[in-house]
Amino acid sequence: MCDDRASLRAPGRPGRRFATIVTPTPSVEPVQAQPAVPSAARRGWIAHPELVVCEECDAVYARRALSAGDLLRCRRCGATIGRGHWLTVDGQLALTLTALVVFLIASLSPIVTLELRGQHVVATLFGAIDSTWSDDPLLALLAAATAAGFPLAVIGLRLWVLVPLRTGRALPGFAPTMRALRWVLRWSMVEVFMLAVLVAVVRSAGVTHVVPGPGIFAYGLLVLLLAAIQTSGWHGLWHLAEERWG
Amino acid sequence: MSDPARGDAMSSKYPTARERGLIGCDCCGLVCPSRRADDGILRCPRCGFALHPLKPRSLELTWAWLLSAAILYVPANLLPVMSTHSVLGHEGHTIIGGIHELWTSGSWELALIVFVASIAVPLLKIGALALLAITAGRRSRWRQRERAGLYRLVETVGHWSMLDVFVVVLLVGMVRFGVLAEVEPEIGLLAFGAVVVATMLASASFDPRLIWIDDDDRKRG
Repeated sequence: MCDDRASLRAPGRPGRRFATIVTPTPSVEPVQAQPAVPSAARRGWIAHPELVVCEECDAVYARRALSAGDLLRCRRCGATIGRGHWLTVDGQLALTLTALVVFLIASLSPIVTLELRGQHVVATLFGAIDSTWSDDPLLALLAAATAAGFPLAVIGLRLWVLVPLRTGRALPGFAPTMRALRWVLRWSMVEVFMLAVLVAVVRSAGVTHVVPGPGIFAYGLLVLLLAAIQTSGWHGLWHLAEERWG
Repeated sequence: MSDPARGDAMSSKYPTARERGLIGCDCCGLVCPSRRADDGILRCPRCGFALHPLKPRSLELTWAWLLSAAILYVPANLLPVMSTHSVLGHEGHTIIGGIHELWTSGSWELALIVFVASIAVPLLKIGALALLAITAGRRSRWRQRERAGLYRLVETVGHWSMLDVFVVVLLVGMVRFGVLAEVEPEIGLLAFGAVVVATMLASASFDPRLIWIDDDDRKRG
């Protein structure tokens, strides 16, 4: 939440820091020479870019710049308030594009091949969802959404946000995209799906011969990529957008 | 109440946005004065997200989702989640049965993981959220920091319970050998999936800021 742009600087000494508390003062309105948040000022608001509020307990802190690897935690409740990030917009864009390619490989190529008395079955993600659909469409929808739909949405929405920040040409709907991204992140469960693949392989290995396919490795890679992208800053994107377009 | 001096010390040590007439946007993090309302709904000037000092109807929604999860937990564990069909006949498998199968086949590590993800996590999650909702409803000051940590834990581990849903969907897609061996999902799995979704919605509805609101806070408004 704090200055994610700190990532542009050389990596500092990683460590955990606690947030500095704003000393309580009688006056609430700080003196400001010029509005530092143009989008808010245009709507007649005086925003406080120098402050940061803990999302989990409402404590107010002074915003401060973080170097890469820093973790800023709320003194009152222990929630993470800010992180110093290593990844720049270029880095995030590169990882997100890689994640898109890896996602396509993971979902289209065989996860495993099973063999039983000369019969071969190639299992893909969509094949499994398709087989479930005929028995229980609701369940198939739930699995399709959390294992494929929402992860793809995370990648797509990230790209929609990052590409304009990289090229400088604004795309419509930056704010709704960021809001949607916040929501889909919660329901994207590739890491759980990855573990489920391992459990399913072990459980079917008793009856059949199982050969792992490229999909299983692509899924493993996708888990790592999405985790890396997820920790690469959130509020920093808002600051960048503010700087670019006001 | 307990000790008024302590309450004052707490509030001066940790000034909250609400006390200072400020509000932080949950979406983009921008801090704004909270008094200005043009059309009744306060919206963040930067991102347009609705601004609330607390999530609206947080406790009611949390309880509603928690009760649904607790009720659905019973059929999810009693009814079979999948059935296997082969020349030897039909057989239903419950979640516990699947864990037993993994255990006896020698992969006790996976049996443990599935037990934690499918049995322990949903139960502990329902219990933990009920504890949080009860104490928050009473404006309790008991172990506030630990309760905040408990909430973060619930949020982090919550979606891992989806494991068994994926396992069965994968087995359905993998074991397709006609008369030799087939796997089909059963109604218990739908109930189990619903438990996972309901507990996730319950923890999303709960507002952790409620942990920190005590009676002094309420008097100050």
